[in-house]
Amino acid sequence: MSRRTIAVLFGGRSLEHDVSVVSGLQILNAVDPELFSPMPVYIDQAMRWWIGDDIWHTEAFKSGGPDRSRLIEVTLSAGFGTSTLSPVGALPAAIGTSSAVPVDAFIPVLHGTFGEDGCVQGLLELGGCAFVGCGVAASAIGMSKRLTKVVAAQAGVPIVPWVSCERSVLDRGSAWLTALPAQVGSALGWPVIVKPCNLGSSAGVSTAASPSELTAAVLRVFEYDVEALIEPFITNRLELNVAVAGLDDAVASVTEMPVTARSSILSFSEKYKRQGRKSIGSSEGMAGALRVLDPDDLPAEMRAQAQTYATTVFKALGCEGISRIDFLINVDTNQLFFNEINTLPGSLAFYLWSAAPHYWTITELLTRLIDRAERLRAMKRGLQRKPPPELRLLS
Amino acid sequence: MSDFWPWLPVITLVQTFLIWQRVLAYLRYFQQEGYEHLRFLRWANIRSLTDPAFWLSIISAFLFLWAPTTALVLFVSGAVILGLGQPDPRHSGKVLLKLTWRATRVLAVSMVFAVSAWIIVTNLYRDTGLRAPLISAAVVFAVLPLVLIAANAALMPYEGAVQRGYEAEAVARVKAVHPFIVGITGSYGKSSTKAMLAHILQFDGPTLAASGSINTLMGITRHIREELVFGHRYMIVEMGAFKTGSIRRLCQLTPPSAGLVTAVGDMHLERFGSLDEIVRAKSELAQAVPPGGWLVANADSPGALQIANAATHCRVLLYGETSAGELATRLENISFSKQGTTFVLRTKDRAYECFTPLLGRPIILNLAGAFTLANALGVDPDIAVAAMRTLKPVSNRLEVVEERGVIWIRDAYNSNQVGFRAALEVVGAMPVARRFLATPGVIELGPMQFDVNRALSREASLVCDSTLIVADTNREAFIAGHREEGREARLVMVANRAEAFRWLRETVKDGDAIILENDLPDLYEHSAGVFWKAGAAS
Repeated sequence: MSRRTIAVLFGGRSLEHDVSVVSGLQILNAVDPELFSPMPVYIDQAMRWWIGDDIWHTEAFKSGGPDRSRLIEVTLSAGFGTSTLSPVGALPAAIGTSSAVPVDAFIPVLHGTFGEDGCVQGLLELGGCAFVGCGVAASAIGMSKRLTKVVAAQAGVPIVPWVSCERSVLDRGSAWLTALPAQVGSALGWPVIVKPCNLGSSAGVSTAASPSELTAAVLRVFEYDVEALIEPFITNRLELNVAVAGLDDAVASVTEMPVTARSSILSFSEKYKRQGRKSIGSSEGMAGALRVLDPDDLPAEMRAQAQTYATTVFKALGCEGISRIDFLINVDTNQLFFNEINTLPGSLAFYLWSAAPHYWTITELLTRLIDRAERLRAMKRGLQRKPPPELRLLS
Repeated sequence: MSDFWPWLPVITLVQTFLIWQRVLAYLRYFQQEGYEHLRFLRWANIRSLTDPAFWLSIISAFLFLWAPTTALVLFVSGAVILGLGQPDPRHSGKVLLKLTWRATRVLAVSMVFAVSAWIIVTNLYRDTGLRAPLISAAVVFAVLPLVLIAANAALMPYEGAVQRGYEAEAVARVKAVHPFIVGITGSYGKSSTKAMLAHILQFDGPTLAASGSINTLMGITRHIREELVFGHRYMIVEMGAFKTGSIRRLCQLTPPSAGLVTAVGDMHLERFGSLDEIVRAKSELAQAVPPGGWLVANADSPGALQIANAATHCRVLLYGETSAGELATRLENISFSKQGTTFVLRTKDRAYECFTPLLGRPIILNLAGAFTLANALGVDPDIAVAAMRTLKPVSNRLEVVEERGVIWIRDAYNSNQVGFRAALEVVGAMPVARRFLATPGVIELGPMQFDVNRALSREASLVCDSTLIVADTNREAFIAGHREEGREARLVMVANRAEAFRWLRETVKDGDAIILENDLPDLYEHSAGVFWKAGAAS
């Protein structure tokens, strides 16, 4: 059997472009070469898609990105079910590599806006392509911290209360500068943590202990996002993350505790760069942060609870592929809260799978996910698409 | 003689390689000088005669008279060693050579000129046999900076046409998008004021402002073509003046709807000749503001005030701290801490209590200017004040970084005496154990350079426990300044910044503070390795 072509999409125009490149190349190199023929597809900041031999290594992405003149720009061919990458401005076939490339399955490894939020997934759906990971609805809801909370709460998973503030308040004068702190003070108390509602990374996140700090924190969010989410800041807290893989059933991984989170929020650089090193190329995405896998001092019932909640949220959102679900523990009250979901976690959280008890390498896991993506596509294609007689108005 | 001819291809190869390396080395400085011939020539001076490649050629050519084979072996091996020993300006050094399209064009044409020159001169001496390429090599290495200038001059008509095409495109884009354009000029603080104003205005509408200090016709043209899109409500343009008329040119590209003049002083005096000439050049912005438009100016700066007073056609708003006149915004009660600055902005109706993580009196004064203009444009002052809390210090502009108990005040991008004094004031206000300063002094001040640096040196000697004077450009002035205060013992002389860092790392302890003030461009640090790796030379 010939090897199936797997296109790994990375890059994108979100703040997490670089993280996506690092993650994408990891995934690219982890795809089983005996079964598949992996192909890197770099999506640049202008959302143009490129293929070529130069983009297999992070070195090509330093100082201004890869040399475009050595790459071929491609686009997903129009027409449902073609699942083909065609060169833009179709060069004469004589030039060789300019012919269209049929793709068996896509693995989007794009983080944040336009990549993790359902946009690219929608494009792949329109093309009738098989792809690993969440579909449009789960991606879109998972991107909004507020909507995810609503779904999680509905599914019976405990959440932290919130107040949200939309950027459109800026168009209505300065009354919000006093109204918002008053609302937050009575609904949540102080201190609070202020986050962008729709960003995956920790960019724009800050804490506030007073009205003036709150309004500043909200403005900081408005530099990046159209909605700010304000939650009580649990001072004495721990974070606990669980990954879930959508195989035949949703399977929860072991838990991890990012140790730098004990006192402060995990900052962007701590999250994505290994300590003491500057170069992102040497980092391994989320795998670079300091963490403890299955911490000993975590009560067994809390671990089990986190895993149950994680699969519950995963299923409630209708996720596919691998998601990482993040929880907060209030150390004073010993309570566990759902915090947020990453429907496309950095490095697909592979480090959580290569730990016992599952012991799947990322390669094995990717093979299973690709197979599942192809089965799902087949299932969708098998659905009845012919309109019933009452809808045939024109024939 | 004819048995020597197989040597020719070998010599051609290594000679071309060495020319390539040297052209790259010179190109870095040519680029830093903005491809300006006179400025580059002033830097190049007789530098090419100190090039070991020049001497290698001379020595080989002489040696050839007695021992031809030895001379050829010496030349070839020497050229290879020199070529490989030269640091690659694209990867090492403080300001890297960026191989832009233009640099690539200059590089290519320079190579063609240099190699042709070498071949032509070799031909002239062809009766000396293989001595000819060696003599010719000496000539080429001696005139290499001129070759770059010739290449650039030859490209001029082409560069001009390209640039005019880009400009026309940018003008059309500005007309189509029609943003409200704010022009900012002044001798100091343009970039920081632009960044602060953009930060405040972004909460009122989509705002475009170039990061860094893009302020030339070419830079702004490129920025417009790449970044300006429909929906941008504001565009803030930093307008730099290199000579009279340059701001007028910029105002044709981006006609300002409002203007802001920060502080007009003696920076770049060398280029202008007199302070009046600087004021005249900067006032071109005020003249370009349409009748009834806003002009905001710093009343504390006599030059800026002069420009404002002359601008009778527009609505002038003044801001300041020390000015006795009537002000739209008055800055009061400044106090500095490690976290930032607290201050009060008093307008006609109210006093606003403000905080910002930024530091430095001139920066806060510029923030008052940005606030004044934002108010005039209808931005809610309370939102502007809230936004000040989230300003981020620009890298290396009075940026405070705490590293293992030591406070670093990075002000390497500042290059004027006002910023210099501001850094001294900030470090003086901080409760630290000892204070250190590392600086090469300030430059481009023409005949005033010595006196200005001497005065800065005196002030530094009063604030800092040790001052490291980097390189020899302003060394004498710093010695004089410290001597006048009787504090010569506080002055440490170092050859380059690497040495300064070494000294600092060995000396500082927990609780100390270090100011890094004004990093000279490579051009002025004589020990920088042009032809040879810096470490090996010293």
